[in-house]
Amino acid sequence: MKKLRIGMISFAHGHAFSYFNSLHALPEVEVTGIADSVPSRVENLVRAHQLSYYEDYRQLLDTDIDAVVICSENVYHAEITIEAARRGKHVLCEKPLGITKESMEDMIAACRDNNVQLMTAFPCRYLAAVIQAKKAVERGEIGDIIAIKGTNRGSFPGGWFVEPELSGGGALLDHTVHVMDLMNWIIGSAVKEVYAYAAPLFQENIEVEDAGMIHVKFASGVFGVLDTSWSRNGTFPTWGDVTMEIVGTKGVISVDGFAQKNELYSKVNGKGTWEFWGDNMDAYMIQDFVDAILSGEPVPISGEDGLHSANVALAGYQSLKQGQPVQL
Amino acid sequence: MKVAVLGCGGLGRIHASIYAGMQDVELTGVCDIQQDLADDAARMTGAVAYSSFEEMLEKAEFDVISIALPSYLHKEYTMHAAKAGKHVISEKPIALNLEDAEQMIRCCEENGVRLFVGHVVRFFPDYVNMKQSLDEGKLGRACVAHASRIGGHPGATKAWYNEVEQSGGVMVDLMIHDLDFLRWSLGEVKTVYGLNRREELLDYALVTLQFESGAVANVEANWGFPGQFQTKSEIAGSEGIVMANSLKSSSLQIHKAPSASETSAFVTVPESPGFQSPYELELLHFIDCIRTGSESIVTARDAYKALELALAAIESARTGRAIYLPLVQR
Ligand SMILES: NC(=O)c1ccc[n+]([C@@H]2O[C@H](COP(=O)([O-])OP(=O)(O)OC[C@H]3O[C@@H](n4cnc5c(N)ncnc54)[C@H](O)[C@@H]3O)[C@@H](O)[C@H]2O)c1
Repeated sequence: MKKLRIGMISFAHGHAFSYFNSLHALPEVEVTGIADSVPSRVENLVRAHQLSYYEDYRQLLDTDIDAVVICSENVYHAEITIEAARRGKHVLCEKPLGITKESMEDMIAACRDNNVQLMTAFPCRYLAAVIQAKKAVERGEIGDIIAIKGTNRGSFPGGWFVEPELSGGGALLDHTVHVMDLMNWIIGSAVKEVYAYAAPLFQENIEVEDAGMIHVKFASGVFGVLDTSWSRNGTFPTWGDVTMEIVGTKGVISVDGFAQKNELYSKVNGKGTWEFWGDNMDAYMIQDFVDAILSGEPVPISGEDGLHSANVALAGYQSLKQGQPVQL
Repeated sequence: MKVAVLGCGGLGRIHASIYAGMQDVELTGVCDIQQDLADDAARMTGAVAYSSFEEMLEKAEFDVISIALPSYLHKEYTMHAAKAGKHVISEKPIALNLEDAEQMIRCCEENGVRLFVGHVVRFFPDYVNMKQSLDEGKLGRACVAHASRIGGHPGATKAWYNEVEQSGGVMVDLMIHDLDFLRWSLGEVKTVYGLNRREELLDYALVTLQFESGAVANVEANWGFPGQFQTKSEIAGSEGIVMANSLKSSSLQIHKAPSASETSAFVTVPESPGFQSPYELELLHFIDCIRTGSESIVTARDAYKALELALAAIESARTGRAIYLPLVQR
C-alpha cells in the first residue's frame, strides 16, 4: 500500500497536536516532518517520533511529501498554502481559512491552478449529533427551516490569538467560522446579509474583541444568530461549546455538540469538570482528508467552504463599523 | 383592602385564587363577559360573579382592580378603572403601543391611583437569583447574556393571541418578560436588532440588545415549540457566569403509567414547586406598595420601557435595520 506522506507546518494553533495524533494513528499515513519557526513548540514531538524538523517551512515543502497540514497563525495561512500549492502539495488548512477575502481567493486559485486539493479544517462537521441533525433536516422532520440560534463559546486563548497582526481578529473571526460553516452546510443557501456586534468586554486591555454576536440572513429567507464570545472563565467546567437550535415550521432540533460528558468533581482538578467522552471529531476529519487525497476524490470540505464562512465574519467587522447590517 | 378581578381566563383565575387566599385582602368581584368563566371563578373564590365591568363597578366595592384581559383591552379598562379611582394591576404587556402606554400612565397619575404591570419574571426566584449574583459582584462586569422562552402557540386555544393587533405577537407578549428582565439586570439599551418569522400557529423571534454599558444580549422566543414550556437564561461576566434553566431545575417529576385513555406510553410531568408562586409574590408586593405607598420593584415606566424594546425589535425585523433608542413611533 502506498502511504500518504504528510508534513505539518507550524504548531502555532494547538489543534495541530490533535491532528498529529490522528494522522499518526493511521497506518496509511506517514508524517515525515514538522516545520515550525519556533523549535520549542515541537521539539518534544520531533524527538518522540524521530521526525525531521525544519525551521523554514519551505525546506519541508521541498521534500517528497504529498500533503501538508497548516496550523500557523492565521495571517500566514495564505502564504504557506500558496507556496505548498506551487510545489504540488495538497493542503489541509486550519480555520479561519484566511483573514481577507482576496487572500482566500488567491489560496483557492493557487490550489486549483496547481491541481492540488485545499481542505478547510472544520472538524465540527464530524460531530455525530451534527450529522444526524442535518439528516433529520433533510428528511423534513421539522418542516422547513426558519432559523438557527448557535453558540460557539470558548475560553480566552491569549497569545497570538489576541495580537491582531497575527490573528487578523478576535473572537468574532475565531469563533464565527465553525458554526457558520455548519449553518451553511445545513441550510445550503448563501448568506446575503450580516449584522454583528463585537467588543473587548471580558478582558481588559486587549487589542481584539473577546465578545461577539453575529446575525445572518440567507438568500432562502432563513436567519441565524451566533454567539462567538470567549466567555468561559477558568472556573467553568469545560472550555466552551458548540450548540445549535435549528428551528423549523414543524419542530426544533437542539444540538449540543459536547453534551456527551460525565460530570467529574475531583480535588485533583481543583474544580468540577465536564469530561467529554463522545467521538473524536478531529480523527474522523483527518481520516476523511486522507481518504480523499489517497483516492483522488474531492475533499469533503473545500477552500470555498472556508472562504464562505470566514467571509461572514469579515462582513461582521464591516457591520460593526457601520452599526447596521451589510450586504454580502 | 378590597380587590376585584377583570377577566377570568387563564391569568385572571390565577389572580383571583391568589387574592382569595391573601390575608387582609378581600376579593369582592370577578368579572368575565363569558358568564360561565365568571361563575366558575366565583365558585372557586367565593367572590361575586359579574359579566360586565360596568356592572361590577356599579355593584361591587373595591380599591384595586386586577386586569387580566386580552392585551388590546388593557388600555381601555385601565383608563376606565383609573377614572373611577381604582388602583390598577394590569397583566403585561402594559399596552400594544407606546402612545397608549403613556396615556395609561398619565391617566393613573392624574386620577391619583397606582398602576402596576405584571412583569412576573422579576418575581421568579431563579431570575431574582441571577440578578443577585450580578449585583453582588460575583459576575464582575456583565458582558454577554442570553435568554430564551419557548412553548406552544397560545393561539391554538385562545384565538385572540393569533391576531397581532390584539396580542402584539411573540415579542410583545412573551419575549417582553426577558426584555424587561435584561433591562432590569443590565441597564438601559442602546440598540435593538430583531429577526422574526410568523406563520400560522408559529411566531419565532431572535432579538439582540446592545446595552449602554457595552454588554450584549440575545433573546429567543418561540410560539410554536412542540414541547414543554421552558425558559433558559445566562449572564456571562468578566468574573463569572450564571445560568438558569427551567428544565434542569424541576425539583419534582411525577412519572405515571399510562391510563387506558391515553395514547402515549408513559407520562412525566416535571414541576418546580414552591410554597409561594411567583404570581403570589408579585401580587403581594403590588398590594403592599399600594398600602405603604412605596415604589414597586417594577414600575409602570419599566413596563413602558419593556414595551419600547419589544416594539423596537418588531420595527427592526420589519425594516431590517438596527434600531437606535429611543423609539420614534410610526
Ligand atoms: N404574566 C404572565 O405570565 C402571563 C401569562 C399569560 C398571559 N398573560 C397576560 O394576561 C392577559 C390575559 O391572558 P390570558 O391567557 O389569561 O387570556 P384568556 O383569553 O385566557 O383570558 C382573557 C379573558 O378575558 C375575557 N374578556 C374579554 N373581554 C372582556 C371584557 N370586555 N370584559 C370582561 N372580560 C372580558 C375573556 O372572555 C377571557 O376569559 C394577557 O394580557 C396576557 O398577555 C400573562
